[in-house]
Amino acid sequence: MALNAPGTPLLGDEHPLIVVVGSGGVGKTTLAAALGLTAARDGRDTLVMTFDPSLRLKDALGVGEEARDRPVPVALGDAGEGRAGEGGAVGRLDASLLDARRTFDRLVERYAPDEAARRRILDNRFYAHLAGSLAGILEYMAVERLWEVASEGTYRQVVLDTPPTRQALDFLEAPSRIVGFLESGALKVALRPWFDDAGRLKGSSRLGFLGRRFESFLDEIVGLDLLRDMAEFFQAFEPLYGGFRERARQVEELLRSPRTLFVLVSGPGEERIADTLFFARRLGEAGYHLGPIVVNRVHPQVSGPLPGLPEDPCTPDGRALLAWLGERDHRGLAHLRGLVPQGRPLVALPLLRREPTDLASLEAVGRELLQRLDRAGGED
Amino acid sequence: MPGTVPSEPLRSRLARRRLLVVTGKGGVGKSAVAATLGRLLAGSPAPATGQPRRVLVFEVDPRENLHQMLGLPPSGGEIADAGGGLYLQNLKPRQVLDRIVAERIPLEAIRRRVQASPVYQQFAEGAPGLKEVAILGHALRLVRGLDPDAFGQKFDLVILDAPATGHGVSLLAAPRLLSEVIRRGPFGEMGAELAEFVADPEQAGIVVVTTPEEMPVHEALELRRGLAERLDREPELLVINAVYPPFPRGESPGDDPVLALWQDRRMLQEREIERLERDWAGPRLELPKLPEDRGPELVATLTRCLERELAAWR
Repeated sequence: MALNAPGTPLLGDEHPLIVVVGSGGVGKTTLAAALGLTAARDGRDTLVMTFDPSLRLKDALGVGEEARDRPVPVALGDAGEGRAGEGGAVGRLDASLLDARRTFDRLVERYAPDEAARRRILDNRFYAHLAGSLAGILEYMAVERLWEVASEGTYRQVVLDTPPTRQALDFLEAPSRIVGFLESGALKVALRPWFDDAGRLKGSSRLGFLGRRFESFLDEIVGLDLLRDMAEFFQAFEPLYGGFRERARQVEELLRSPRTLFVLVSGPGEERIADTLFFARRLGEAGYHLGPIVVNRVHPQVSGPLPGLPEDPCTPDGRALLAWLGERDHRGLAHLRGLVPQGRPLVALPLLRREPTDLASLEAVGRELLQRLDRAGGED
Repeated sequence: MPGTVPSEPLRSRLARRRLLVVTGKGGVGKSAVAATLGRLLAGSPAPATGQPRRVLVFEVDPRENLHQMLGLPPSGGEIADAGGGLYLQNLKPRQVLDRIVAERIPLEAIRRRVQASPVYQQFAEGAPGLKEVAILGHALRLVRGLDPDAFGQKFDLVILDAPATGHGVSLLAAPRLLSEVIRRGPFGEMGAELAEFVADPEQAGIVVVTTPEEMPVHEALELRRGLAERLDREPELLVINAVYPPFPRGESPGDDPVLALWQDRRMLQEREIERLERDWAGPRLELPKLPEDRGPELVATLTRCLERELAAWR
């Protein structure tokens, strides 16, 4: 399995692209922002790309809805404990919010050869449904944006947050899946028995009994109206396939590069272990380069006497509850440590008393993570 | 709230529904809430028949975890009996789809050809709203006693533990969407029938689950807005899950970091709960965070807590 070489810092020119992955609700977005902020404070021009951040995080970064259209600079000021980079200068931090529908529309506009082709796509009722509901579109859009940023080459560091999918690898497979879905060749084959080149339904008299039954059942189940819509949609997309395919290929190359490092974030608790291991294994198998695993929001271990069982089971004592949570989280952590391959950095971040609400507290999270990673690296 | 009788207790209102869709952001404990609702409502006499109420919790997640909550082995798609009138089934959306197709095409050779054809494959993967309709359709067949695997037995109530990915609103809006796209055939018909079923507050209810944290609360409020706009529906119930016990009044954590963590975390939660009190009209219950691993004991305790909360609501 590919590792970041021992002693290589997480933030540095070895890894110009960091992809933060993991299940939903584990604090991925906050960690991505914290890492980006820390990189910028260390003097590297940085872009953080994120989906759907909380209002709290948007406030902390001081960015609003305008970040959906373009990267917006974060006003770093000179607060915080930033160690400026080699030259003594703090880098730039830009934040960008990813919006599926807008990116898709932009893409159609860019690749459609003329106005008529553009309208044919945007007006097709299947497009309206597809753009909003086809699984993976959002993920696909993220990599499109990533490609744009990478090809411009304006940043020394890009941190990409990923959408909260349960099967978080969906994100990485989205480009090839969607290109496959839009692949003109395959679709033409699929639709050939039904439509002639002009999109009209072909006669089926030449088919035998089984063929006619097959066709009538297929018609009954799928409905020819829908098929005609789909066919029209894919025909309308045909001029775009070339561009889509080429970009998906380049994005895949970028994601599989040894210079792209994945950080896997997990929640505490034993029930998360299977997910985390599964995810780590699949990343490796698929040829991506996994760096550290971060177990986030671990409750502290509590010592000392604890109250007995509460009178009312629906109102447990807070100290006893936290002690139990601390015990549960450390049990899970120890279990996970035993299962993670040797040499894979694994760090735990504690549950904070408060969520970061400003740049200083956000940077503190980033520094804490880097320090713990240093220490974890030193143990080996 | 429109369409409800204010004087009727919340519990019996919930129990009268044929379908409860439990939805919310990933990681908020939807499965625990679905299992707890199931445990609470199963076994008590159904008003129509006087017989013990049969409740099926239906999970659509490739990684099963509801069986753990109910102390059962993974069922592999079969209906499993969790005792006390509670049943459990886990199916993948594609399985549901293939089953429905299989029933419509009695001839094995043709069925195989249809299912193997690239057109069907594209359709099954790409048709908008199709998987969601298959899921809801399966639930509807269970309450109507039309599922061949249920041996002709009807369930009084199906509780759907909705998939974590995707918005709950898209799930419920899917029947209407699909019936607009496909007008004929089993799926078109099913879409139309389901659109009616889901729109009827007497038949189908929506239970939104959240934890008292910013993003889940935000998503819960968005869900409610989306339901109102796209389906003209109000959720039946909001469950605020995993709430920390209140920090004792007048006490100070001193230099004890554990007490400080309790106080601060509880304060963050209270802020979110206040936000819900402000922006969420309609029933709103809290379930505690408990020092217990997921399993039947946790569900048993949560059932007691939920029962009490239901009785105390208004």
